[in-house]
Amino acid sequence: MAMTIVEKILAQKSGKSMVKPDEIVEVSVDLAMIHDALGAHTIAKFKELEAEKIWDPEKIVVVLDHYVPNKDIDVAKKCLRIKKFVIEQGIENYYEVGKGGICHQVLVEKGHVLPGMVVVGTDSHMTTSGVMGAFATGIGVDEMAVVFKTGKLWERVPATIRINVEGILLPPLTSKDLMLFIIKRLGLSGAIFKSLQFTGSTIDEMSIESRMVLTNMAVETGATNGIIEPDQKVLNHLKPKTNHPLQVIRSDPDAEYAQTLEFRTDEIKEPMVAMPPDPSNGVWVSEMVGTKIDQAFIGACTNGRLEDLRIAARILKGRKVSKYTKAIIIPASQEVYKAALKEGLIEILAEAGAAIGPPTCGPCMEAHMGILGPGEVSISSANRNFQGRAGDVSAKIFLASPATVAASAIKGEISDPREFFKEAR
Amino acid sequence: MKIKGKVWKFGTNVDTDELFAGRFIMGGDETNSEAYRQFIEASGLSDVQFRANVPKEFLPEVKEGDVIVAEENFGIGSSRQQAAETLKFKGVQAVVADSIHRLFFRNFWNLGCPALDIPGISKQFETGEEIEIDLRKGVVTNLSREKEFRFHLITPPWFVDMVEAGGLIPFYKQLKS
Repeated sequence: MAMTIVEKILAQKSGKSMVKPDEIVEVSVDLAMIHDALGAHTIAKFKELEAEKIWDPEKIVVVLDHYVPNKDIDVAKKCLRIKKFVIEQGIENYYEVGKGGICHQVLVEKGHVLPGMVVVGTDSHMTTSGVMGAFATGIGVDEMAVVFKTGKLWERVPATIRINVEGILLPPLTSKDLMLFIIKRLGLSGAIFKSLQFTGSTIDEMSIESRMVLTNMAVETGATNGIIEPDQKVLNHLKPKTNHPLQVIRSDPDAEYAQTLEFRTDEIKEPMVAMPPDPSNGVWVSEMVGTKIDQAFIGACTNGRLEDLRIAARILKGRKVSKYTKAIIIPASQEVYKAALKEGLIEILAEAGAAIGPPTCGPCMEAHMGILGPGEVSISSANRNFQGRAGDVSAKIFLASPATVAASAIKGEISDPREFFKEAR
Repeated sequence: MKIKGKVWKFGTNVDTDELFAGRFIMGGDETNSEAYRQFIEASGLSDVQFRANVPKEFLPEVKEGDVIVAEENFGIGSSRQQAAETLKFKGVQAVVADSIHRLFFRNFWNLGCPALDIPGISKQFETGEEIEIDLRKGVVTNLSREKEFRFHLITPPWFVDMVEAGGLIPFYKQLKS
């Protein structure tokens, strides 16, 4: 019987010949990730299980990212406990500050996630790793403790919503604008206990970096996971990074989808901005132009990659961040940081008056490095803008592409990046 | 297994930043269970007075054994288990909602507290009414209105046993011994 890519992966990993939507399966986990935010908590729960050794140290990745360089003593204590555990358990895949970056970027960048894997982590944006054609999703710490012990996880097989996108996205429109458009249509709960599979010529043409925005924000529709069938770009990315054989799983041509939503890029007439208080509140940038901002943030697991810094630098080159605006730019990983240095992007951004931070999740989720005060307005390339998400409960967060954030930083108010893009060559 | 309690009616899109703000995530000492419990209980719903989807009286008046009945999309957002823990530590023993985000759903059950997603259920309850949940029969009752509603759980067959054991960790230990 025909299956989607997600159904095939979950069937394979639960030892079944086929699975159906809403069936409960027990799957073998191929990769499990913890970070500083919930890692110590997971370890405490693991100890409660009176477990001694984790099931397979080679299948664990530990990334310190949310609060690094350690924000305060509480953070430092937890990170010490994590390091001790990593050494005791012989976990090789450990990324200290300065060596990794944001976990979702690291998992893909370093080639930990392979097509067909079941990947879990103590983070909702684990969905990002679906860009490699893996089933990737978040879990809480109690479940992660049990995964550490057993390597097994139950899952409700998600029915798949196919998001098919056709056409060319012309810069400065980016996959962020596309995803805010998709989320507006699907809504915040449109895909609860379902999977989003992205297909179509627009996705085929996209870089892996751009695709990661789609799988990253899949969870913003309530989805269990987001996934893209692996293609030659994915295989080319992984070949130099892994010795494991690469299996290409794709949805059968006659697979059944819960729904297929068709999008055309020419429907996206302008850059999108999601108004507070949630990511489904997208409007055209022209409807928000002129809204005063206090902060402009480019970074996070959504949009802190090299192409994001490139487009920001293209807009900010030779220009200045507005006098009363804080521009904060945080590369998603050490690799991104190094590449941006090499290309001269960091210099351009710093010259413009942006504060460049070390790779960290930072201000996205009220961790550190750019917390918003009462009434402050931020335009951000991150993925969530719930009330109180990044600071005081009265602060307002507008979500946008890195291009729109960069343009807004120059004017100190929400701005259309196309205004700057024409001349910036 | 039956659960009985007083209803608190919540609105839509109660998100995890609202339930447990990012600034408190690293605050609880997870190696000291009593201190951890106190911290997580005290830090939850910190800015709820500014939120329209939670009744103003909830925080000062919630009691052990109360039940939240919410509209769509309860628990949208993060995997932070503290969002589920803070409700449990404040006394909430079950959440019933029109729909529940996957991560909150799993996290709350894993703490030994049922999270029931029953389309349309929120219209059948108001704050202050009495609710009864029969997990094995799949029936939720508004005792104040004497009205019953059937539900069907899509969960592993051992889920109610897990609740009876007190959550995933105690259930796993019980299985092992």
